Amino acid sequence: MATHPEIPEVPDEKLVRRAQRGNMPAFEELVARHRDKIYARAFSMMRNEDDAVDLSQEAWVKGWQRLKQFQGESSFVTWMTRIVINLCLDQLRKHKRQRAESIEQLEDDLGGVERQMPTVTVNPTAGLERSELRARIDRALGLLSYEHRTVLILHEFEDLEYKEIAKRMQCSIGTVMSRLFYARRKMANLMMSWKREQQS
Amino acid sequence: MKTELMLKLQSWVDGELPESEARQIAELVRTDKEAAALAEELRVTRSFLTGNEPEAKLPESHEFHWSKIQRAIERAEAEVPAREAVPWLEAVRRFLVPVSGVALVLFLTVVSIGVFDDRKPAPTGDDPMSQLVEEQTLSTHVDTTSYRTKAENMFVVYIVNKDGEGDEEDADADIDWEEEMDVPVIQ
Repeated sequence: MATHPEIPEVPDEKLVRRAQRGNMPAFEELVARHRDKIYARAFSMMRNEDDAVDLSQEAWVKGWQRLKQFQGESSFVTWMTRIVINLCLDQLRKHKRQRAESIEQLEDDLGGVERQMPTVTVNPTAGLERSELRARIDRALGLLSYEHRTVLILHEFEDLEYKEIAKRMQCSIGTVMSRLFYARRKMANLMMSWKREQQS
Repeated sequence: MKTELMLKLQSWVDGELPESEARQIAELVRTDKEAAALAEELRVTRSFLTGNEPEAKLPESHEFHWSKIQRAIERAEAEVPAREAVPWLEAVRRFLVPVSGVALVLFLTVVSIGVFDDRKPAPTGDDPMSQLVEEQTLSTHVDTTSYRTKAENMFVVYIVNKDGEGDEEDADADIDWEEEMDVPVIQ
């Protein structure tokens, strides 16, 4: 934790104002408070510990450099989360250009796969402990392509609208809708299959 | 059910459908079992995801993490005054980069149309040198790629500003050779 015992009582807003005036210990306290959340967002998108550590660190550096632009329209942690998301999207775009797409992913992107999935008619997570539910969600997210995972994260966890997701991912709203549809259906079916495995 | 209808159903579940269409979809869900089941699946999936984002802890101590951030901040702040100290150098560089690019284009154009060589035979498609791709690095800021075909009497030069690479807003600025084949042709 931060090494400034008088600071932990201070709310984020005050720490941000101090940091905006160049107070580094105030910024360090903000890092200490929100480092796990920023790292978790990077990890959920990148699915790689090293990348997530590097990108969350880069996000904090950018956060410090742009702190004067933060006007408090959202919470500080939301603002920081948006910075790390943008860095992750940039990184994922670079990776995508470098790697060849797998046949499976190409098939997914072409569409149609989701229509063959059976409709899940019962709640596949009913009765699960929260920790188990989170573990299964994490496992399922890891099985999605980065495009499907990212759309799902931005919509369900960041609560962004289709239009905003399309802007951030530099694609059309229609693409966002079809990726989200696929991601949800895949998620529901994975959850259902794990529920059946558990029952048998 | 058609894909378009399924996506509309999803938009309805997410509250992103205009009022007029929302009424139609609500009626469809009320009367069509398949639509109702799909809408329910989408709702359930959304509900179990909301608020259940997987948690992850930074796999290094705060002290170590902060020391790296602090060093990076200090390094970046040290670089800014150094760059600002010689603004005229930056201005000269910005002027020279496009000028050198234009000079190269002119030079290659003159060479390709054979101004200096009136002994050359007429180009044929069989000549292995009748199509040529050259890549040159002029400086740390500019790359050029030229494509020349004598058979087609065509000559194309791409100039890539490497300064733009890696920028957040300019992530797609890299030129893809195949995608850019229809750029203006100098003949």
